Amino acid sequence: MKDATHTLTPQQLAAVETVLARYQGKGRSALLPCLHEVQAITGWLDPEICAAIGQSLRVPLVQIHEVIEFYTLFYNRPVGRRIIRVCDDVPCYLAGSEAIIRACATRLRVDEGGGTTEDGAWTLEIHPCLGRCEQAPFLMIDDEGYGHVTPEQIADLLGGKP
Amino acid sequence: MSYRPILTARIGKVDPTSLDDYVAHGGFQALKRALALGPDAIIDIVTQANVLGRGGAAFPAGIKWKAVSTEPGPKYVVANADESEPGTFKDRIIMEGDPFSLVEGVIIASYAVGAHQAYIYIRGEYPLAITRVQNAVDACYQAGMLGERILDRRYPLDIEVRRGAGAYICGEETALFESIEGKRGFPRIKPPFPTQVGLFGRPTLINNVETLINALPLVQHGPDWFRTMGPLDSPGPKLYCLSGRIRRPGLVEAPMGTTLYDLIYNYGGGVTGSGELGGVLLGGAAGTFVTADDLDVFMDFGSLREIDAALGSGVVIVFDTSVDMKAVLRRIARFFAHESCGKCYPCQLGTQRQLEIIERLAADRLRPGDLQLLSEVGQTMTDASICGLGQTAHSAIRTALKRFDFDPSTGHFARFGPPSGVQEALA
Amino acid sequence: MTTPSHNNRIWITIDGRSLQVPPDITIREAAALAGVEIPTICYHDALTPNAVCRICVVEWRGARTLVPACVARVADNAIIQTNSRRVRTARRTLLEMLASAVDLSQAPEIQAMMQEYDADPDRFGPEARRRETGGVKDDNPFYVRDYDKCILCWRCVQVCAEDVQHTFALGFNHRGFDTEIATFFNLGMKETTCVFCGNCVGVCPTGALKGKRLYELELRGDS
Repeated sequence: MKDATHTLTPQQLAAVETVLARYQGKGRSALLPCLHEVQAITGWLDPEICAAIGQSLRVPLVQIHEVIEFYTLFYNRPVGRRIIRVCDDVPCYLAGSEAIIRACATRLRVDEGGGTTEDGAWTLEIHPCLGRCEQAPFLMIDDEGYGHVTPEQIADLLGGKP
Repeated sequence: MSYRPILTARIGKVDPTSLDDYVAHGGFQALKRALALGPDAIIDIVTQANVLGRGGAAFPAGIKWKAVSTEPGPKYVVANADESEPGTFKDRIIMEGDPFSLVEGVIIASYAVGAHQAYIYIRGEYPLAITRVQNAVDACYQAGMLGERILDRRYPLDIEVRRGAGAYICGEETALFESIEGKRGFPRIKPPFPTQVGLFGRPTLINNVETLINALPLVQHGPDWFRTMGPLDSPGPKLYCLSGRIRRPGLVEAPMGTTLYDLIYNYGGGVTGSGELGGVLLGGAAGTFVTADDLDVFMDFGSLREIDAALGSGVVIVFDTSVDMKAVLRRIARFFAHESCGKCYPCQLGTQRQLEIIERLAADRLRPGDLQLLSEVGQTMTDASICGLGQTAHSAIRTALKRFDFDPSTGHFARFGPPSGVQEALA
Repeated sequence: MTTPSHNNRIWITIDGRSLQVPPDITIREAAALAGVEIPTICYHDALTPNAVCRICVVEWRGARTLVPACVARVADNAIIQTNSRRVRTARRTLLEMLASAVDLSQAPEIQAMMQEYDADPDRFGPEARRRETGGVKDDNPFYVRDYDKCILCWRCVQVCAEDVQHTFALGFNHRGFDTEIATFFNLGMKETTCVFCGNCVGVCPTGALKGKRLYELELRGDS
């Protein structure tokens, strides 16, 4: 449990508190928007944050847990500070997504099936169709999309770090 | 090809962040007309035009609109913008390029059925679309066109934009309701249908983005005009999503019932890779494969059903003969195993077992009896699953095995070659 | 004066036999009136039916798919087959897939069904993935949880929530094939809202939830 919790900065804590105050008593139907907003501040959702969300919304804790577990964009364990999602569904595969994934995995030194770098800077995910099939192969870094990517561009996209 | 786009006419011309520019490009003329017509007349128009749902299920929109309009309130309108079917990107392009049109469509639908609260549920992986649509809704509130009144008519209406969180199943209408209610996206048992028991247990109109924006030209020009496009049993304009080994991938607006040949060769500029067409996946992962022999088929709901294929959401993924079809099927099987919600046994267990058999097929390690087993797993998913996800999880694989001359003795699809390895060099 | 319920009776045909039944009953209930028993796994009289196991599916003439008899309601002139070839194939395949994934050694009713439908779980081969959940969870004095035996019938989650107890200690991990019954962040039961009412143990059909004393007796018997 101890390992699984965050160390949040005072600014992050204050920001989370502001969000939770706004969601006070809003009930279960506000759960997904609330999780989105909090995770945007904290990166992932630990038990203490989830307990605070449950208290604010008045939702049983297990119902928060099972929702995070269901949706792939919510995380209840640590992830990289930046997330790169590479599409490998049919149109992207036809445009060479395998080579893109290989380039990302090599560069980040993580498994081709996805993973987080040792320094916690990046998480690589092989993501289901991202809906940019006309720009295949396609990937997203956080909320930014990159179409028609080539393996040669990957080093630049992932920053200078080897 | 003298067709002039209707649904996508503003995209690339209008500033998607500006309400004023939307109005300058003819925005809210349809709503003005709708308010003059009144709810009953709007529903009559949608019914007479025989608009079939553009999300893929092809359910007549007029029946839904009418049903919800006769139910007591409170009731809801939901725009299904969860578009997650592999190969589909039409709703994203609408929302990014002309977001106010979706808002206008939602307002018209809400007014027609008597709803005072609407939701637009957008898939979480579409951050730009979410920003644009939220901005459009905010701009309408600021202009006093939402909230207490719509346009200049006293009619309370609130629209809330919801962001999905990574779950293909939430495109299923009842799973989407569950998601808005803050739950796991488990599809519900039907009946009862959403028109009676939908979001928060209330009567709900849920339509795909493309279906909703069809209401705009429809109320302005009427059902007779609408039915001049495409076949009478599924008329109107249609958005097709071209991708794969095609020269000009992208969104194409054309009349419903345009031939597959036209889409691939005239709109799409022809086949890349080996240059020779090997097959086409229509409707995405939940869709059906057809072959080069099917190029003359009319791309509408009825015509495709006749040849054991489906239009679905309008996806056209093109494969040249050099493609490793087994690697393609492995991705389709993996997709469903990843996206099954796990509620009902056929899909929860079947998508995993299907993936295992397809992995053996892809690795040339099929065992005797595997194809029979696959067919029984597929039949069970199709026949016994709760929702459309499980019911279509075997469709693409079934039609590939049926149409691409898979030879179990060699482990190859006769229509596709050379086998694995070479397509990477061509890509 | 005729009673409304008599007036409202409708005609249906089940397995070739026509009979009059009250409207708005389920196919499962109507079949019982016809003397036909429809197999069920997830269904429980005291709980909201969720139709997750689909073992009860039957063929309704004119319907595109099979329909679940535990929740689908009869309609006038419905023609239903509860044991057609199509139905039997679905049931057999479901049982085979279930048994290839889950330890059913303490689920005698499901084992009997497998005999009845000639189900052979070995068809999926030795590499068929099984539900592996990391062993028995023994974290409280009252009961143990062995999710390798869990068939995800949802009964425990339902009794713990709105159907009975309103305790909300149980929910789910993951989704799809990887779905598991879980607590908040997989905490031990003593750290959850569990009140140890024992209802979940009572409704578990496969021995995945088991009273601690029985579990210890079994362990001693094995050694």
